Parts: sequence; C-alpha cells; structure tokens
Amino acid sequence: MASVALSEAEKVYIVHGVQEDLRVDGRGCEDYRCVEVETDVVSNTSGSARVKLGHTDILVGVKAEMGTPKLEKPNEGYLEFFVDCSASATPEFEGRGGDDLGTEIANTLYRIFNNKSSVDLKTLCISPREHCWILYVDVLLLECGGNLFDAISIAVKAALFNTRIPRVRVLEDEEGSKDIELSDDPYDCIRLSVENIPCIVTLCKIGYRHVVDATLQEEACSLASLLVSVTSKGVVTCMRKVGKGSLDPESIFEMMETGKRVGKVLHASLQSVLHKEESLGPKRQKVGFLG
Amino acid sequence: MPGDHRRIRGPEESQPPQLYAADEEEAPGARDPTRLRPVYARAGLLSQAKGSAYLEAGGTKVLCAVSGPRQAEGGERGGGPAGAGGEAPAALRGRLLCDFRRAPFAGRRRRAPPGGCEERELALALQEALEPAVRLGRYPRAQLEVSALLLEDGGSALAAALTAAALALADAGVEMYDLVVGCGLSLAPGPAPTWLLDPTRLEEERAAAGLTVALMPVLNQVAGLLGSGEGGLTESWAEAVRLGLEGCQRLYPVLQQSLVRAARRRGAAAQP
Repeated sequence: MASVALSEAEKVYIVHGVQEDLRVDGRGCEDYRCVEVETDVVSNTSGSARVKLGHTDILVGVKAEMGTPKLEKPNEGYLEFFVDCSASATPEFEGRGGDDLGTEIANTLYRIFNNKSSVDLKTLCISPREHCWILYVDVLLLECGGNLFDAISIAVKAALFNTRIPRVRVLEDEEGSKDIELSDDPYDCIRLSVENIPCIVTLCKIGYRHVVDATLQEEACSLASLLVSVTSKGVVTCMRKVGKGSLDPESIFEMMETGKRVGKVLHASLQSVLHKEESLGPKRQKVGFLG
Repeated sequence: MPGDHRRIRGPEESQPPQLYAADEEEAPGARDPTRLRPVYARAGLLSQAKGSAYLEAGGTKVLCAVSGPRQAEGGERGGGPAGAGGEAPAALRGRLLCDFRRAPFAGRRRRAPPGGCEERELALALQEALEPAVRLGRYPRAQLEVSALLLEDGGSALAAALTAAALALADAGVEMYDLVVGCGLSLAPGPAPTWLLDPTRLEEERAAAGLTVALMPVLNQVAGLLGSGEGGLTESWAEAVRLGLEGCQRLYPVLQQSLVRAARRRGAAAQP
C-alpha cells in the first residue's frame, strides 16, 4: 500500500489518542469517514459504482458476458474479479508495482464470495451445461487513502446492485441447433439480489485498542489488522489477519464482535442510500467526476 | 494443459474420468471433533538447504526448505531510529520471501505447475504468519527465502505448510521469538454444524467453512488467521479459533522433540 512518512512523535500522538477513543480527525474508534456512493457512472457496463471514502477513490465496473459454465457446477454462472491498482493511486504502483496488491485484493474478493449464500448463482444460468452469465467485476483503484478493502467491498456491492443483465432465451430448432434470442425491450433485465453480499470491515490494532476505517497514517502505526467480512444479518463469511505483527486471542474475539456491529450498521446505511438513489429514477443529477 | 506444448504432447484440454463417474464416495464417518492426526516431523533432511523440515499428518505431506540470509535485491537506503535489542531501523529490516508450491499430483485433479492465484494467496498467508515470529531486524538488508512444497494434500495443507516452514526456519538457525504452529479446522454441514479439528481431505471438501490458525505457543499470540465460508455468527467462529489454538498447543511438544533430535544428529555427524 502507499507508504507515508511518519515521525516517532506523530506515531506516539496517534497511539495515545486512540487509547482515549479520540482519533486525529476527531472520530471515535468505530466511526467511518464520510462515504460517497454513486452508481451507474460508466455507460458501457452492465453496472457500475464509484465510492469515495475520505481520500480513497474506487471505481467498479461489472460486465455481463455469456460463456460456458464450469464443469463442477453446470447449473450456475460465476463471477470473475480483477483489481487494477493504477499508477495514479500512488507512484509506488507504477509499472508492475501494483500487481501484488491487486492480486491480494482479488483473492480476498474471491474468498468472500466463495459460498453459496452470497450471490444466487443459479439466476445466472441460461441453459445448464451450455450457457451461463459470467459477471466480470473490474475494480479500479483511482486514489489510495487508506482502508482499501472496505471501500472496494462497498463499491462491489453497489455495482452488483446496479447491474442489469439482459434477459435471454435459448430457442431450439427442429434440427437441434440452438439460437439465442435477446428480448426486444432494453429495460427487460434480471437484477441480482444483493441482500447477502458481504462487506469487509478492517479493524487495525493500534496500541491496546482497535480502530475501524484507518487512514494511511493510522495504518502506519498499526502492526496487525483483522479483516472480517460481514453480511447484513451479521453472518461472518471470511476472516483474515493482515500485517507483520501478531494478535492476542482475546483481542481477536473483541475485534470480531466490533466488526459484526459496525458491519450491520454499514449495511443498513448502504442499503438505504442505494434504494434512495434508485428511487430518484433516471432523471437524477449525476455527479460523476466533476463533484 | 493449455500453452505447454513443449512438455506435453496431447489435446489442449483434458479432464480426469472421475468427474463423469457416479458419485459413490463414502461419506466421512463420525469422529471426535478434537482429535489430531498423528504427526511425523523431521527437521534437517536436505543437504543443500540451510534449513529444512518434512511434516506428515495423515495424508498431508509437506516439505519445506529455507535458504539465506542473502543480500536483498532492490535495497533501499534507510535511516531512522534503531529498534530495541540492537535491531536495524525499520527501513533496513530483512525480508522474508515465501513461496508455496503444490506438486501437480498433490490433489485429485492434476494442476499445472504455475498454480496461479491460489498458490500466491497461500504464499502470502505463509509470509503473514511467519513474519511476527522471525527477528527480521537482526538481518538488515538481507532476505530469507522459504519455499514450501506440498507433496500430497490430505486436508489442512496450509496449516501443515506453516508448521513445516517454522521448523525449517528454526533448523536453519534463524533468530526467532517463538515457533509457529498451524492448525486447520472445518465446519461439517448438517442440522447441527460442528467444527472439526485437523480435517481430512474428504471432510474439507464437504465442509461449509474452513479456517486455519497459526499460534506462537509460548507467547500465546496468534500469528496468522485465514478462514472463509458459511461459518455462521461470530460465536461460531470464536469457538473455532479457540479449538484451533488448543490444537496448536497440543502439537508443540512433538515439534520441540523433532528439533532436539535434529540437533543431536547434527552434533553426532560433526564429531568424527
């Protein structure tokens, strides 16, 4: 990730502040920064979303393409994730520098979606063993300001909520040759149910306490973090320890509880924002990159 | 296998016949959820590596080799305050490079040698779990290379690789705060889901969720944690972590004995 140069005095200041539940920008330990979510920003995709979390800027585009299902799961479609850390995020990502981080984030995304209940993959099947929808979720990191995993998971959820997959029928001829028919109405599409899509909450251990949504400076003071992926019902789908340090077993249990609590609140507010944005209809003012 | 035409002359794509066979595998029988499979651990078996270890637990066989410390590539000029105990400042600290490789015949389906994203994810997990234990500050501007080779996957492969890697590092004489012991768990699905310690391959395939914990037993600090699946609520995951940590503590004496035996062997070989 982007590195930031901090002096010892600044680190001590941050650590002591966190012990008193007071962070540098005035937040408490469990508060998120202001999040801006906007969907449908890219026109060539089936669904897209842009999330700004403090200085972190993520753009996600989802493209739905037809393909053949995997051999072990002939009745389901699947999702493919690709994360691109562009050089505009931080100069360290120039050339191949961002590849490692991109692969790490993509692997984490595969892991959190790797269970039956996150996305109903059977809705992506067109005809068993032959055709299915493959959703290519491409994540673009525009600016890195700390707490990448959380922002990316929020953006992926918003983009999948916005995804509209055209309704397709496979017709069979008398000779047995198959013909694919797209429906005439461009607004006739399948929407994915995003009820059970999890969001990642990263808890950074600073001193004796843990904080949610760390900025770059706070991440530099923390040796170990726990990444928890929580659904809106409080079900945990993935847990991972990140960082060079070790964690006490008791703090892991505390961090899991905090992650669940914070995750539920995050899901509730994200759902309400997404529904409100959709209710504004096609006439809403799009802010895009100009705001 | 796509692309590798020099070594394999055959069709582009091939599948094993088991995929098309009727599903007649026996279901894993009921067992004590806290049983650990008997472990065979041996350190110091490769002559070419600085340190090495071989671990066998049930059907899982892992071989790990450590080389180094050698000069790190792409060195940076560093400054800043030195750490405690005469360690190098943060910018000059040593690096740990981990590599996890699966032999092509390790699982049920043949996997081509450049394994792709799963192996890199496991290599990253190895690195994140071993870094808290190794005193990298004592190896400024150097890098230690740890490579784990999975010969056969019989369940909880990552946990076995973690343990073997820590043994190999200790065998190489690298300065460490403590050994790292890994333990795998999986959640058996069904009406009453229970967490099973040290699952076999069959149990892992049918599991609803899986978890690997790495513990430093003497310091009682969790060095690594990686889990995913439909594990349920946080209470269920917390119970799994506790079970895993307990399993790691039970495994520690076996590893200590294997290191003592390796040291004795080395001493006896050096004498005449």
